[in-house]
Amino acid sequence: MRSVPLGRRNLLADHRRLAAGVVGVGLAVMLILLLDGMWAGLRDQATLYTDRAGADLYVLQPGVRDLTAGTSTLPLSTVDTVRADPEVTWAAPVRSAYVVLELHGSKVAPQVIGSVPAQRGGVWSLAAGRAPVADDEIVPDQILADRHGLGIGDSIEVAGRRFRVVGLADHSYGFMIPYVFVTHAAVDQVAGTQGKTSVVLVGTDQPTAVGQRLRHQGLNVLTREQVAANNVHVATGIFGSPMRMMVGVGFAAGTLVIALTAYTAIVERRREYGIVKAMGATGRRLVGLAMTQTLALAGLGLVAGGLFFVAGRAVLVASRPQFTVVLTTGSLGRAALAATVMALVAAVIPASRLASVEPAAAYRSAP
Amino acid sequence: MISRRVPLARRALFQDRRRAGLTTAGVAAALLLVLLLQGIFDGAMRQVTAYLRSSPADVVVSQEGVRTMHMSVSALAPDTVTAVERVDGVAWAEPIRYTTTVLARGERQQLSYVIGYDPATGRAGPRHLVTGRAPRAGEIVLEEIAADRLDAHIGEQVTVLGDQFRVTGTFRGGTSIANSMAFITTDDFAARRGDTVAYILVGARPGTDPAQLARRLAGELTGVTVQTRQQFAAEEASLVQDMSADLMRIMTLVGFLIALAVIALTLFALTMAKLREHAVVKAMGGPTGRLARVVLAQAAWSVGLAVAIATVLAVGLGNLVERISPAVAIAIEPASVARVALVTLVVGALGAIVPLRRVAGVDPASAFRRAS
Repeated sequence: MRSVPLGRRNLLADHRRLAAGVVGVGLAVMLILLLDGMWAGLRDQATLYTDRAGADLYVLQPGVRDLTAGTSTLPLSTVDTVRADPEVTWAAPVRSAYVVLELHGSKVAPQVIGSVPAQRGGVWSLAAGRAPVADDEIVPDQILADRHGLGIGDSIEVAGRRFRVVGLADHSYGFMIPYVFVTHAAVDQVAGTQGKTSVVLVGTDQPTAVGQRLRHQGLNVLTREQVAANNVHVATGIFGSPMRMMVGVGFAAGTLVIALTAYTAIVERRREYGIVKAMGATGRRLVGLAMTQTLALAGLGLVAGGLFFVAGRAVLVASRPQFTVVLTTGSLGRAALAATVMALVAAVIPASRLASVEPAAAYRSAP
Repeated sequence: MISRRVPLARRALFQDRRRAGLTTAGVAAALLLVLLLQGIFDGAMRQVTAYLRSSPADVVVSQEGVRTMHMSVSALAPDTVTAVERVDGVAWAEPIRYTTTVLARGERQQLSYVIGYDPATGRAGPRHLVTGRAPRAGEIVLEEIAADRLDAHIGEQVTVLGDQFRVTGTFRGGTSIANSMAFITTDDFAARRGDTVAYILVGARPGTDPAQLARRLAGELTGVTVQTRQQFAAEEASLVQDMSADLMRIMTLVGFLIALAVIALTLFALTMAKLREHAVVKAMGGPTGRLARVVLAQAAWSVGLAVAIATVLAVGLGNLVERISPAVAIAIEPASVARVALVTLVVGALGAIVPLRRVAGVDPASAFRRAS
């Protein structure tokens, strides 16, 4: 009796039904993997600036702890205070602001990074052209430029001022927010105030000692790691609730698809199950049958979900390269766990249907 | 002949209630994904336009090329206010100063737009205070969700723009998942960030058309962008819409694909289970078109119920989420539900293609064969 793989046979009896079920579960798993991957990508993109700018310390407005919001404002003279420290190798002011660009009838909100020409803090990787030198020059992120057909020599209007594209930046797209690079003075003009900066980047071989000395002078000094962690905290705080809710809905959808597929398979074969019951199969055996089917579906769905994810990510990266989707072993583990839990939860309804099958059903004509 | 009154589609679909329930729930879960995400962005749109929607201004003047407040920097020379006041049809012009900054209280922080306004007129401030009073020098009013997050009560201090401000009141509306709003006096703002004005709110004289006034202001002033309040709010909303468009498209596609899989699975299983009944109908002279309508009606029932359940769930979840996390507003707009219903109907029709082919190929003679 135990050697007859009833559950598997039942599941494989109709290939089209099985395929539809596996596709449904696979899509739900793909959704979970995609959201998880985007979440990991969001964390990566949140530390893009601190990863690339090369500073060891960041001097920010008192009370400000991150760069994400672009909220810090400092007197420009802070740079001189920082440079006066004997162990500071270099210090560079960076002024940033969010602006809204109108490109091809749609709005794009990049973070404008203004740095002093030939100093640090500006564009870190060029795909083409050069960094901005004059106050009417701009270097947009390459993905942003590609999407809107912008090339070197074209012009962009930023807050009523025209800027000429002199280069294209590589690897400069944060989560939903691209970077564009101009001179510090250009941001001064856009903001309408002079003598201010947003952050002072500091390069030093002695970050701990320099940081302490600068703090004693009343400056708000954070290490690169602190700023990066705070950037991640802000970004995940904003997008955390919606992401978790989407994952929850994806999980529910996957569970229901598994339950529906297994249930349909069981209902269609209730006569066979009646025979099994008439032959003395226990309730535990029937629940086991239901679970075999839901677990098999979840397993196949997991594989399909993995394949869909790989294909979906390839399409996404090709069509919307601004989204970074990172696949980690943790993501795979969570997806596998989700699929297993889906299968166990989904087994409840088919199992209850099996429990209610009468042995007499074996002797009735099929409907 | 088969009477048109026999609801074959509905009876077959709901004969097994558990299967009908699973189908409806499966499609509803997929649609819920789409509705909730759209609801989050619609909610964000409401939040970002809360300040302007409640403003008494008819027209808003900003820096040339700047059409929004959110994620924007606008700087106008202080004398622009006088120039605006001189324009015919202007009843009042109220300058506001504006920046994005962090409100801090101990270890707690809240990203916020801070507006410097003149409490004497109150035109650019919060419309209704829930508690307390308008700010004076060294004082601030906070949005109530932000005040709660900061654990800042009336009389307590928060750090803003590098200084301590005493909380004197709270208002409702304007806190989103990303940030909040707070108001200080325009003099306090100018003392810390310079005398530049960010925006000018303009009231029209009675009988003056706001659109006409906006055109007049744009014609007489240079270096500014002039919009009616409605235009300005629409620009704010389109910013959220444009920023979220790509993410919406991805999630919507996945949601509808899941819905398609569930509908196709159900209709296929149902059609296969009822092939003999379909053969009987055919043997009794029922045309293939009648059977096709049965399958399509089943698809419509599945879709209709799923849309209704997904909408109810989305509204319920939205309320629940707003209670747990008040900054996350989920607005389920009728237009969103209509769009989702329309697309799901198309998805349902797609899911019915294979079953329709099976029904078309049913042999009436099979009705008289004994089932295995």
